[in-house]
Amino acid sequence: MIVLHAGFLDNRLLLWGESPVAATTTPASRRGVKTKAGRPQASPFDAGATRLVSTLEEVGLPVPSKRVRSDTVVAWLPTAGGRPVASSPLIAESPDGPASTTLSPWTVTVLPLDCERTTALLCMCIGKQTLASGVVIGKDLAFWRQAMRFAGALVARQQFLPGLEAREGRFRAIWEPGLAGEDRHRLASLAKDMPAVGRALSRGKADCPPSQAALSVLIAFIAGIIDHLVRRAGSQPPVDSLKPPRARRGATDFASLHDQWLHALRAPDGTLEGEPTALAELERQIREWRRPISLAVASPCRLCFRLEEPEVSGEARPSPAASLREGWHVRYLLQAQDDPSLLIPAQDAWKPEARSWAGLAPPMVGFDVREYLLSSLGQAAALCPDVQASLKRPTPGGYRLDATGAHAFLTERAATLEQAGFGVLLPAWWTRRGTKVRLAVSARVRSPKMQGGGGLSLDEVVRFDWQVAVGDETLSLKELEALAKLKAPLVKVRGQWVEMKAEEILAAIAFWRRNPREKATVRQVLQMGLGTTDQVRGFDFRGVTAEGWVGTLLDRLEGRAAYGELPPPRGFTGTLRPYQVRGYSWLAFLRDWGLGACLADDMGLGKTVQALALMARDWEANGKRPVLLLCPTSVVNNWQKEAARFTPGLPVMVHHGVGRRKGEAFREEVEKHAVVLSTYALLHRDLEHLREVAWAGVILDEAQNIKNPETKQARAARSIRCDYRLALTGTPVENNVGDLWSIMEFLNAGLLGTQAEFKRRFFIPIQAEQDPEAAARLKRLTGPFVLRRLKTDKAIIADLPDKLEMKVFCSLTKEQASLYTAVVKEAEQSLKSAEGIQRKGLILATLSKLKQVCNHPAQFLGDNSSIPGRSGKLARLTEMLEEVFAVGDRALVFSQFSEMGEILRRHLQETFGREVLFLHGGLPKGQRDRAIERFQGETDGPPVFILSLKAGGTGLNLTRASHVFHFDRWWNPAVENQATDRAFRIGQTRNVQVHKYVCAGTLEEKIDEMIERKKAIAEQVVGAGEGWLTELSNAELKRLFALRTEGVEA
Amino acid sequence: MAWRYWRNFDFYPPSRPREARGGIKAQTKGGTFGRSWWARRWIEVLESFDIGQRLHRGRSYARRGQVLSIAIVKGAVSAKVQGSRPTPYQVRIKVATLTKADWKRLTGVLGSQALFAARLLAGEMPGEIEGVFTAAGLSLLPRRSKDLQTECSCPDWSNPCKHIAAVYYLLGEEFDRDPFLIFKLRGMERQEFLRLLGGRVGPGKKNGRRGAPLPEAGEQADPTPPPDPLSTGSGSFWGKERPGEDCFGEVRIPPAPAALPKRLGNFPFWRGEERLLDAMERIYREASMAGMDVFLAAPRAQSEN
Repeated sequence: MIVLHAGFLDNRLLLWGESPVAATTTPASRRGVKTKAGRPQASPFDAGATRLVSTLEEVGLPVPSKRVRSDTVVAWLPTAGGRPVASSPLIAESPDGPASTTLSPWTVTVLPLDCERTTALLCMCIGKQTLASGVVIGKDLAFWRQAMRFAGALVARQQFLPGLEAREGRFRAIWEPGLAGEDRHRLASLAKDMPAVGRALSRGKADCPPSQAALSVLIAFIAGIIDHLVRRAGSQPPVDSLKPPRARRGATDFASLHDQWLHALRAPDGTLEGEPTALAELERQIREWRRPISLAVASPCRLCFRLEEPEVSGEARPSPAASLREGWHVRYLLQAQDDPSLLIPAQDAWKPEARSWAGLAPPMVGFDVREYLLSSLGQAAALCPDVQASLKRPTPGGYRLDATGAHAFLTERAATLEQAGFGVLLPAWWTRRGTKVRLAVSARVRSPKMQGGGGLSLDEVVRFDWQVAVGDETLSLKELEALAKLKAPLVKVRGQWVEMKAEEILAAIAFWRRNPREKATVRQVLQMGLGTTDQVRGFDFRGVTAEGWVGTLLDRLEGRAAYGELPPPRGFTGTLRPYQVRGYSWLAFLRDWGLGACLADDMGLGKTVQALALMARDWEANGKRPVLLLCPTSVVNNWQKEAARFTPGLPVMVHHGVGRRKGEAFREEVEKHAVVLSTYALLHRDLEHLREVAWAGVILDEAQNIKNPETKQARAARSIRCDYRLALTGTPVENNVGDLWSIMEFLNAGLLGTQAEFKRRFFIPIQAEQDPEAAARLKRLTGPFVLRRLKTDKAIIADLPDKLEMKVFCSLTKEQASLYTAVVKEAEQSLKSAEGIQRKGLILATLSKLKQVCNHPAQFLGDNSSIPGRSGKLARLTEMLEEVFAVGDRALVFSQFSEMGEILRRHLQETFGREVLFLHGGLPKGQRDRAIERFQGETDGPPVFILSLKAGGTGLNLTRASHVFHFDRWWNPAVENQATDRAFRIGQTRNVQVHKYVCAGTLEEKIDEMIERKKAIAEQVVGAGEGWLTELSNAELKRLFALRTEGVEA
Repeated sequence: MAWRYWRNFDFYPPSRPREARGGIKAQTKGGTFGRSWWARRWIEVLESFDIGQRLHRGRSYARRGQVLSIAIVKGAVSAKVQGSRPTPYQVRIKVATLTKADWKRLTGVLGSQALFAARLLAGEMPGEIEGVFTAAGLSLLPRRSKDLQTECSCPDWSNPCKHIAAVYYLLGEEFDRDPFLIFKLRGMERQEFLRLLGGRVGPGKKNGRRGAPLPEAGEQADPTPPPDPLSTGSGSFWGKERPGEDCFGEVRIPPAPAALPKRLGNFPFWRGEERLLDAMERIYREASMAGMDVFLAAPRAQSEN
């Protein structure tokens, strides 16, 4: 375990880390740091150079040992009781009680990161808590990641300038951030979030902690990243040039300093050589060149232009379009940089008392409002003749214009002025993106009414008419021609200003005369209707209106009309809850149209049963063709069990393991089955066999497995032909724009365009430009194909029991299986000769051993060996907890073994990089109370609480949890229920889901079956403990222990 | 020195100048020098002297970087030009300055419209300004020959010679960028001019404080924030969850690259072989995309297709 930190010192980021102190070694001997007199002690948690280097290597950022040397610096850390306070309980418990901390110097080992590695490392940190198992991203690193993105944003928006830095007689060509107006604001608010640890490193004498302001540190960091990004981009040889990359050149190779400067701006190091006086002169020249922008940046305000509409008196004319030719106004305003809502009319700024402008705090030394206003107006005048004309007066405050002028301002001048750095305020009806009212075309489809008999498909060809509309008004050809005659670029239609370009109207008329109607398939019409198209031959496209069955289909897809609720299919033996009936009916509706669906209900709402219901219906209705169901290895067993329980009539085949069939044999076998279960790992490997089958459908469980469209799995999934596609996922895919494309492309190819189109139309506008309209468009486009219900939805809560119990069937890994068999063999041998109390003991011991094997080989072996990848249960728990965290829920995990609790804690902490609480019998009362308090009370507190069944079974109140996991079973329902009730108590406001883990094919499953069979009389039969098992005969025990191999991973 | 007139008569055969390295290079790509009317007016003064091929040679000197340095002070310019001899020639241009009283009169009129100050501050000499000078019985640019004296240390007996012409052209280009330089040659510094104009623009009178000069290149832009001691509370020390969310605003690649350097225009007396703004445009375009990728944390390779 290592928690990575980074501090800014010497103009770069220094990486350091904390690791827990190993119990067996003392800190000093661990690293062999000698404590010199006067020098601070080494932090006991210092990860050390070797660990840092190996960590970077592990995450894929190898450090060339020749170039990067580790170093030791002083870190000022909160200290209590003569020890630094660790950043996280993952490293060490924080001292008990409200012990006062002081800031004291410690030495830590750091690895200096150059800008290249800094950006690479920080890019990796996005959207994660850990970089690898046991490599935790410190919160300070998370901060630097945001700071780096801030620098990236400035570069993307081109807010930087070339410069020359003079420092200690050395001159360097650099790229500097241009921080104007709102950016300065944003930067200041970002600086407030800088953790103290980010600037807690110092060098040399450690007599007082560093005190450089967070803002200065942040600016220095951002400047470094910007310089790096621009320099690197600039050093790429131009695409059209065949010249070799620039070689390093000396000062004498340049004809002039300007050449050298331009070269150095694109060279890795940027140093300029030459006469100091000449270089100083160059520095002055650059400063002078940049002066206008430096001034603008330094100014506390900026000039703003506001377009104001004519004031309408009385009733608007009744005609559909009215034009108001006169009465528009552009007003000059000064906008405060610090507070964009503060706008002062230029008229007021001209007044003598406005000279230093008290409205702008703090007033800048030497800033003259009028002089600033003048020079800004002067610049604007060069861009806009109307402004120029207004300057004939001594104190201009704006100018008047007519509709044509207003239109020109809206369409041209505004953008020009804005790009030159002026503020432009336009009427809301113009700036609201997407809702801007202008001429647009739409398609009108007429189709026959939907008939009951079906037989319709998306490949049907329909005719449609083009329509031309303004806003919601559909216009006739005559009206269009009348509008064309008006020749006013801005007209008011029903109280709304509308842009009307004469040439656009004429083009619309021409377009309409040429193609009044067209043909397309229903699939194309649907895609157009949902918004895959923005433009039709140069016109804004507003969508499809449809009558008849196409209209009904569109209405149902978009949720404007209900689709019929279906009765549960024949062969489905379970009971569907009302929301599951709706979900199943929705799946069936999309399936009938051959459209792909993504069911993204919260965990525990029963995605599996809804999917099984769909498969059962389809099996009966569509000629008994097989479905390919792909899932992670850890849930194969679960699917088998659930299918056997809810759709016993569906033959299920598991295509998995070494002995799996291929080619002809595979095809023959498949034909006999309704459901073929396989795993993502095999999807690519067996693709050639999978593609040979005429599948009815392909279903992806845990579909986030294909979120990266480049992976072989994702490509393979897309390439299998079938009639319908279904994706199941419990993580909120719709929230992650980047992941959406791959899943949607699998479900409904082409809906979101190519990946590049998707990036341009949705990803960048939503993620970078914060365009709400693009987000709305994406939602409209994908909404019909994604169904996500939350367990907190009112309609769902009503349908759910307060306590929802589920079994989770897991598989054994091969290692677990062979250990299991060995234990059983040994027990059978010993049982033959054992009797009485000895027999009893032997049975209980065997029981315990087998449970341990089912839990984890490391628990059984007790050898402190590695954890990941060795237990089916643990794999499943990790996956499920990931889903729990993704929606911000908390969970309790019960195990009856405290050793297993420790293993779980270690593994979950390393995997998720978050603290995991563990309550066991050995925990003192104080710590126990504190842990409970934190779980219940802290906002960002630990989301998982592991409890040993004995210690945590009674008397606790842990109602923050909405999930309870029983990692292993206590063969007594009463004990389990008591434990479950920790979460489910009075005061619990949410539903609780209880997940009971069972290893399929093992004694766990068999005992579970026995308990289920005898549930009615369970209390008497099983009594208070597990003793009843010892009453079984040897033959019964043999059957009980025997391992059925279907539960073993291949 | 008086002007000498030698019509259509080039005495010397054209000599090749020595190659000058790192001289000032005209940014005007071809055609006539001086984009602005005031720069052209300045060059017209030169071109009114009938010095034949020397004008052409002067232009090519200016483009090739034969002018090694130019220094401008009130009313005078001195420059070094590399000719065919090893030692560069010394060029001097003297311009008659206007008197203090003249300038006072002028600024009085110029202050009555916002236009003059506004355009000048924005880097443009307003066209109407010549009318104001004429009305005051003055002229913006030297008109009479005694207003302008030139000399060069070269052996050419023509004055102006090609060396003077080269300096002239480069000055014209610099006037494009900064019209206040013309005022400087006429004896008026920018700051002084603005001070004279200061109180007059707008309705009010000067109040107590005199029109303050513009701050020097925004030096006050980012005063170093005061020191800020580290906090000791271990909670805020290690940082918070989800730092710096929503501090980015809209991030968009601008449609036209390098708006900032373009807004600054030509570099004063650029000597580089590559045109500065051409280089900037390329770099800004590349960098912008790289910045977007870092902002979105999408590694370059992945975002390409």
